[in-house]
Amino acid sequence: MVLGVTSPAGTKPLTARPGSAVALDRVTKQYRGGGGIEEVSLEVAAGEVFGFLGPNGAGKTTTIRLLLDLIRPDTGHISLFGLDVRRDSVAIRRRVGYLPGDLALYDHLTARELLTHFCHLRGGPPWESVQVLVDRFDLDLDRPIRALSKGNRQKVGLVQALMGQPELLILDEPTSGLDPLVQQQVHAAITEAAEEGRTVFLSSHVLSEVGRVAHRVGLIRQGRVIAVKRVDELRDRSLHLVDVQFVDGPEPAALATIPGVGTVQQRGDAVHLEVTGSLDPLVRQLSRYRLRDLSVREPDLEESFLNLYEAGHALT
Amino acid sequence: MRSPDRRPAELHSVFERSFHEERRALLGWAAGLVALAVTMLAMYPTIRGNQQFSQLFESYPKAFRSMFGISDYTSGPGYLRAEVFSLTAPLLLSIFAILWGSDLVAGEEQRMTIDVLMANPISRSRVVLEKCAALVIGTAIAAGSLWLALLVGARAVHLDVGVAELSAAAFASWLVATVFGTIAMAIGAATGRRGVARGIGALVAVTAYLLSSLAEIVRWLQHLRPISPWYHAIGVDPLANGFQPVHLLVLGGIVIVTVLLAVVSFDRRDLGT
Repeated sequence: MVLGVTSPAGTKPLTARPGSAVALDRVTKQYRGGGGIEEVSLEVAAGEVFGFLGPNGAGKTTTIRLLLDLIRPDTGHISLFGLDVRRDSVAIRRRVGYLPGDLALYDHLTARELLTHFCHLRGGPPWESVQVLVDRFDLDLDRPIRALSKGNRQKVGLVQALMGQPELLILDEPTSGLDPLVQQQVHAAITEAAEEGRTVFLSSHVLSEVGRVAHRVGLIRQGRVIAVKRVDELRDRSLHLVDVQFVDGPEPAALATIPGVGTVQQRGDAVHLEVTGSLDPLVRQLSRYRLRDLSVREPDLEESFLNLYEAGHALT
Repeated sequence: MRSPDRRPAELHSVFERSFHEERRALLGWAAGLVALAVTMLAMYPTIRGNQQFSQLFESYPKAFRSMFGISDYTSGPGYLRAEVFSLTAPLLLSIFAILWGSDLVAGEEQRMTIDVLMANPISRSRVVLEKCAALVIGTAIAAGSLWLALLVGARAVHLDVGVAELSAAAFASWLVATVFGTIAMAIGAATGRRGVARGIGALVAVTAYLLSSLAEIVRWLQHLRPISPWYHAIGVDPLANGFQPVHLLVLGGIVIVTVLLAVVSFDRRDLGT
């Protein structure tokens, strides 16, 4: 396997290889209308939280739907828990919880009806365990799903993915469209699953989200995995866009010498800086001056990618 | 929207959910078929033994009469054949089955619920088979309602028809509708497109009907009749001849082969793309 098993950040190295939860070996899936993935190889260790990061249309959902055996690869091999995704599909799905990216539910059912239906299809996590999740996400069970807001539908999707405590959680953009409070609940649930030793395969187009919960991140772009990095490595290289308004400030040129600071631009009375890696040296310097305003923005994924390229770091 | 008093449905299987989704439509179709039976039976007393009707229809060309199943119009079986079983009832049942069948599998894909459904540990074959079972039984309930209404109603208006013959006609109507419903379902399972399934299902049903009815009057088409499901259902006149196992087995065979094709094609495809 190209990428091997890396230990999750901040934990002791995995001494024995417990068998990977997810393994894709040179998987290609092309669609007639374009799109898809090419020669994707990935391995996710049992117990790991793996973030799958890429812009929309990069192939994240394609990869995830291949894992679920909803679509079949043109070439290459996919296994979960060492089992073949196609041959052992039903046995695998007993151990997997899945939240689709384009979540569609049975709109005419209530959340209660849908969840009990899925409990039956799964041969039954007891309702009490589902109720715990329902309470946690504060879900209204007795309204038809079509009457729920997008955020509440997403909660129903999350509960059905989490119920029965599956060994592997496959979550396709789990927080998209959720308000920040619920996003936090989702992150907490993911972290908790990881603490219980379960594996999480999580896709996102937001770097900060993945950075918060994942141990390792795979970057996918235009159907190819271009980098797989530990989160702490990635954080070292991540780019921040900083806008500072000084009451009385230094010459912009003076800021350019601070470690990590790249471009410096004066725009009106604001100074715009691009900072790679830690913000600490900049913040220390800034503390000497009187500021009117300070804003730090994490660039979108494309900018992060560009930064990675421009920094000339060897990818993969 | 909110209906707190509604008891939550306990859906144990894909079969039960498919049924649950269709329950209102099924009720509507069954009610419609009962209404058809009641209306037709209500008119029968004015027709029974009415010489003018007999003469009127006898004045029609023979080809026309055989095409529309009209013979012996004023007798009980003749009346039911012309008004209910020669076209109306099996056609309505077939429309119901095609509409539902085309949606059963393909609808899950077009509404994109296939992803959450197939995240459960159930095989694709089981999904198709359970949905097919729902279709077969749902169509039987619709056909059964018609049968029961005719059976009871015929007594009320003193329409003289044998129980076995009436049952055979209703059974054949159910079976032929099931044929077209499963064809529509299979096309949906093979393509994931509800519109295509609906269109082809309807096309097959109409073409087969034209073949079977034109064959009554066009000599060279006659030997082609057995390829039309309609021939085995109504062309062999169950109201006169009762249950005819060979013809029913042909229809049953078509259903089984179609369902197998649906299972195989659904199992091989990329879903929801």
